[in-house]
Amino acid sequence: MASEEHLSAIKGAKVLMVGAGGIGCELLKTLALSGFEDIHIIDMDTIEVSNLNRQFLFRQKHVGQSKAKVARDAVLRFRPHIKITPYHANVKDPEFNVDFFKQFNVVLNGLDNLDARRHVNRLCLASGVPLVESGTTGFLGQVTVHVKGKTECYECQSKPAPKTYPVCTITSTPTKFVHCIVWAKDLLFAKLFGNKNQENDLNVRSTDASSSSEHSEDVFERRAAEDVEQYGRRIYDHVFGYNIEVALRNEETWKNRNKPRPVYSKDVLPPKPVGQNGNKDKASNTGDPSSVSAMSSLGLKNPQDLWSLRENSEVFLEALRLFFSKREKEIGQLGFDKDDQLAVEFVTSAANIRAASFGIPLHSLFEAKGIAGNIVHAVATTNAIIAGLIVLEAIKVLQNDVKSYRMTYCLEHPSRKMLLMPVEPFEPNKSCYVCSETPLTLEINTHRSKLRDFVDKIVKEKLGMSLPLIMHGVALLYEVGDDLEEDEVANYAANLDKVLSELPSPVTGGTILTVEDLQQELKCSINIKHREEFDEEKEPDGMVLSGWTPALAAEKTKTLDNGPSSSNASQTVPLESEDNDEIEIILKDPEILAAGKKRKSSDVSVAVDPEIFSVTGAMLTKKKVEEDDSNNDIVMVDGKLDLNKKKRVQ
Amino acid sequence: MSGGIARGRLAEERKAWRKNHPHGFVAKPETLPDGSVNLMIWHCTIPGKAETDWEGGCYPLTIHFSEDYPSKPPKCKFPPGFFHPNVYPSGTVCLSILNEDSGWRPAITVKQILVGIQDLLDQPNPADPAQTEGYHMFIQDVLEYRKRVRLQSKQYPPLV
Repeated sequence: MASEEHLSAIKGAKVLMVGAGGIGCELLKTLALSGFEDIHIIDMDTIEVSNLNRQFLFRQKHVGQSKAKVARDAVLRFRPHIKITPYHANVKDPEFNVDFFKQFNVVLNGLDNLDARRHVNRLCLASGVPLVESGTTGFLGQVTVHVKGKTECYECQSKPAPKTYPVCTITSTPTKFVHCIVWAKDLLFAKLFGNKNQENDLNVRSTDASSSSEHSEDVFERRAAEDVEQYGRRIYDHVFGYNIEVALRNEETWKNRNKPRPVYSKDVLPPKPVGQNGNKDKASNTGDPSSVSAMSSLGLKNPQDLWSLRENSEVFLEALRLFFSKREKEIGQLGFDKDDQLAVEFVTSAANIRAASFGIPLHSLFEAKGIAGNIVHAVATTNAIIAGLIVLEAIKVLQNDVKSYRMTYCLEHPSRKMLLMPVEPFEPNKSCYVCSETPLTLEINTHRSKLRDFVDKIVKEKLGMSLPLIMHGVALLYEVGDDLEEDEVANYAANLDKVLSELPSPVTGGTILTVEDLQQELKCSINIKHREEFDEEKEPDGMVLSGWTPALAAEKTKTLDNGPSSSNASQTVPLESEDNDEIEIILKDPEILAAGKKRKSSDVSVAVDPEIFSVTGAMLTKKKVEEDDSNNDIVMVDGKLDLNKKKRVQ
Repeated sequence: MSGGIARGRLAEERKAWRKNHPHGFVAKPETLPDGSVNLMIWHCTIPGKAETDWEGGCYPLTIHFSEDYPSKPPKCKFPPGFFHPNVYPSGTVCLSILNEDSGWRPAITVKQILVGIQDLLDQPNPADPAQTEGYHMFIQDVLEYRKRVRLQSKQYPPLV
């Protein structure tokens, strides 16, 4: 496929690949076979068994070894003359600084998380090296080109916040199975097994009025000398029976809704489970607490089976019993983990019982696990297609063929007979806080919020900085890093616990803070606006960051004709996520993404292609948060971008 | 005034220094007792070069930046009375690269300044005297001068 011209560009190129996973394996192979001769690869991961189905450069004997190194060796076996330099390291390590990036002609991303993508984007901007960015989610995928000053950067488009549900839908009026999952996972599971100190809205209704007199007792606490079986049934009756009855008392709520049915354990299960205990324990006496399973002790084998209400109730009580008998030490500090079999069983059964109560269709454990863990299965072919597209864009970048750059979206269903949708890239967003220097505005209560809140919730979560320097004029308020001396560390630690208005250089309304990152070469200004009150429900952080003025709103749009439906293609921007178990996780951190909320859905004025919309819609339901694994997160951008207001690159 | 250009440049200098600086040197923005850290004043330490009479001393230097930095050079001061031909009695260092009218260029970094001053310690410039005592001794009695320098190095032991 390569012409003479291509070949000369390819031969002289020095390229950096970040990520040697699902996309990375395909990409390294395609680069090597396309004639690239100097390839550097960074990947911090080691090979896992679950990678082997699609990360085809790896074999079982490689499990535990560095992905970057094994991928290199595998490719050198069929392309022995080329140079491949592997780094078994985190791309965020300081050795990969601007000078490191400057040696490359192009950087190719095959990453699995937003954090690293943003980091690489910033380093590419700082070093002026073009970036070809990619991602896949199941059948969906995309490749985008980011060249400083010519096309938008990776962060020019906001990454929308994950779908969240109003608290009342979850606590009182669920209408979909996912609502029941969220309730079971984030409320009930967290209440029973998680940290007791964290806020929990589980009992919003049952704790008002009537129970205020008996405020001392927490119904969810296991009483002294209470049998686990009794305790389980008491919890069961409380959340599926009593709480529903309490909710039903509010006639107003149910005027236009289907009334739920209270479910009590005695109606579903035999009064006292006698004689079952013997075989239960036999099944789960392996000793390893992580292998404890209610399914196996109840003899339920197929995770794809739909359980009856009774079976769900049995799983619920058995899972709860097992937590208290086999994993008691973890209670109080457990967080939901999709890889925790017992937790998935508990959440599945609780969600199903609640679903039954509200007349919502029940789901199998397999399905519930997918919903609860935000899992999308990886498709090797998508990775291969995307890798090919990355190489095509890389060749254009090497030839500086700006006019031919394309963002390409890989769709699940053909739209106008196309599965691959090329779109001309957009110009940089002039109000992008990463590649432009437009200041952001932060509304915050400067008398109540501490510097720590600002650092954690804004600088780290929203701006994605890891080693920030925070300055108020010429006063340094905060720095972090191993290179600091003890007295500096102590001084900044003291600042963290001060409220903003009481810092050595007080931060009040009208203050402009400058935030930079030691490694990322990113700088931004934040205008502080004091605000007294925040809506706890809508603004749980107690601060609101804004500054995404609608991009180029006032200017005329120069949209090149690129086929009638091209703009719709950016309705979906899925990104690759490599997870440990051949599945992919969507979206890690709702906070990170919230920064981009600015572009409202009301701005959408593009005609939506129904086929693409259905793809987006399907993905949206799966989009939520995976809580605990910082390496396996992924983000999807949905269609809530106003494409009409963006300029195409000329 | 948030010290626009100066502030931006100082932040860059700070980051550059944190990422990489010559061994034995210290340079950090001033911290006041109330915890405020001021980028306009840096407290530094310059180690005397090995195998010179300055060896063993760690000489404290304060760099004062102005709002006009980096178009104008910062002022660098040793403690008042510091013994060196090119240091004024106030402690201010007289060095071409720190002189707006001769050697200063906005691109000169803090690192270059400190290394330049370290070089100056052992290579005084008799063409540009700034104090009588040090200058005269250097010109008239090198042995006495060197003795005095070695004595001074003991006054500034390394901070361990």
